[in-house]
Amino acid sequence: MTVFAQSASGIFQWSWVQRNLDAIWDRTLEHVYLTAVAIGVGFVISLGLSLVALRWRRAYQPITLVTGLLYTIPSLALFAFLVPVTGLSVLTAEIGLVSYTLLILIRNMVTGINEIPSDVIESADGMGYTRSRRFWEIEVPLAMPVIITGIRIATVTVIGLVTVTSLIGLGGLGFFILRGLQTFSSPIGTTQIIVGTALSVFLAVAADLSLSGIQRLLTPWASRKEAK
Amino acid sequence: MIELRDVTKTFPGTDSPAVHRLNLTINKGEIVVLVGPSGCGKTTTLRMINRLVEPTSGSIVVGGTDINDLAGHELRRGIGYVIQQIGLFPHRTVRQNIATVPSLLGWDDTRISERIDELVDIVDIDTELLDRYPSELSGGQRQRIGVARALAADPTVLLMDEPFGAVDPIVRARLQEGLLTLQQRLQKTIVLVTHDIDEAILLGDRVAILNVGGHLEQYDTPAEILRSPANDFVADFLGSDRGIKRLSLIPISDIPLDVGPVVSFDASRAEVDRVMAEFGIDWIAIGSSGRLDGWVLASEIPASGKVSDATLRPFETRLDISDDLKQALDAVVSSHTSVAAVFDGEHYLGMLTMETISREIIQ
Repeated sequence: MTVFAQSASGIFQWSWVQRNLDAIWDRTLEHVYLTAVAIGVGFVISLGLSLVALRWRRAYQPITLVTGLLYTIPSLALFAFLVPVTGLSVLTAEIGLVSYTLLILIRNMVTGINEIPSDVIESADGMGYTRSRRFWEIEVPLAMPVIITGIRIATVTVIGLVTVTSLIGLGGLGFFILRGLQTFSSPIGTTQIIVGTALSVFLAVAADLSLSGIQRLLTPWASRKEAK
Repeated sequence: MIELRDVTKTFPGTDSPAVHRLNLTINKGEIVVLVGPSGCGKTTTLRMINRLVEPTSGSIVVGGTDINDLAGHELRRGIGYVIQQIGLFPHRTVRQNIATVPSLLGWDDTRISERIDELVDIVDIDTELLDRYPSELSGGQRQRIGVARALAADPTVLLMDEPFGAVDPIVRARLQEGLLTLQQRLQKTIVLVTHDIDEAILLGDRVAILNVGGHLEQYDTPAEILRSPANDFVADFLGSDRGIKRLSLIPISDIPLDVGPVVSFDASRAEVDRVMAEFGIDWIAIGSSGRLDGWVLASEIPASGKVSDATLRPFETRLDISDDLKQALDAVVSSHTSVAAVFDGEHYLGMLTMETISREIIQ
């Protein structure tokens, strides 16, 4: 027991946390900010591309091909390519982060719309909906659960990825992880790694839970059980 | 009310037309059923009337207006439409679903909610359902809501594509009855598509029998089609029980009824023997004018006794004057006495026998 307690205090120092509360708070805000911007911009771009893919079916394959390619590029390499062009900036970070959201968001938007039962579409047409009203009033609301699921996955992914942007001087909570790695052997180093990792995980869980709450609020019809 | 003139539809990428030079006139206030095997173009024909499918050639006039004079979505807001899977909007409550077309037409909230109150009454919907979502409804309930939604803006024309296809037979029978009751009250012009000839006979004022490729084989009242099918295709399609099907269209009130082998309680054995010999039976019914109390077996009447000495058995199969001959046939074959007693309320009218019924089939 004593051995464990000693080694635990050897890798984690509360005193460091207490001394650095302001910095931790600032980095957490930065983390949230980088994530929110990435999801916001990613959502707008994905919405545009999804509309294109739904309007012209043949565009869907090329769009998923390109966004799929972006998704597979290792994040480290992507930032390495971008730095010579856009520098060590928020722009560089966001270009990278946004690229990783596109595939997830677009695929969920398009699938969400395409999976709407055909009888619903037919009855909407039969009732006299115009094409655009049908899309915004029937199809989009019905695709909402799938679209929000996409946003949840993208958000959790981006929260994890933000830590990598520490390599270009940002990183949110990743800043502590990177600095901790540089001083790994000292208790201060491991403390920083633990703080950065734990808070990043906490952010991801909190974001996922609140988005799932929003999902239930926006789509009350989807959570009610079948009668019979 | 609806006039199809030389209507042809050839779908892109197919050689033979789905519907070929179809002419059909549908009168105001009647139910016309389009029936035929799959591939006969019945659904295509229906969908051309509200322009969900555009005809390749020919013209369709609804209520005096060529349907091409209106934008498709405007035309469709004026025509009720019910499909097999109903297609209720899952994200909207029953109330919102019913309000679909009135909302599209821009009615104000007061007018919409007054109209929903009317429809709840007309289509017989439980008001508790109004704030539920479609996923919380049974199949029969969904179907009713679908009909209410189609009637919401009070269209004169209602198009129904296999409207009862997705519910079980018991619910279907109830819904079919419901549609006929509704129609008596509303007098809509209804075009209904089905593949079920029995449904066509039950619901149709007139039935259009279509063959593959959209050829109209016969268009007439169900009774006339059953009496004289235009050709072998129609006869085959009606099935070998065509005679029995016809019986369902003949009300008992059309048939002259015999009072039958009825004697009074104090009739003697001798009188009973005389009546039984006349009818060729071994039982006798007991009653007086306008009354039927039951029947007894002859073997239970003592030779020197009276009818009242035997055990009185009730007629278990009673028919009402509003029933049809198919129900009468069922009653006759399942009765001990091979007759069915017909009543008007409690008033006894007479008996139907197998002979009377088969005389109608042969006619």
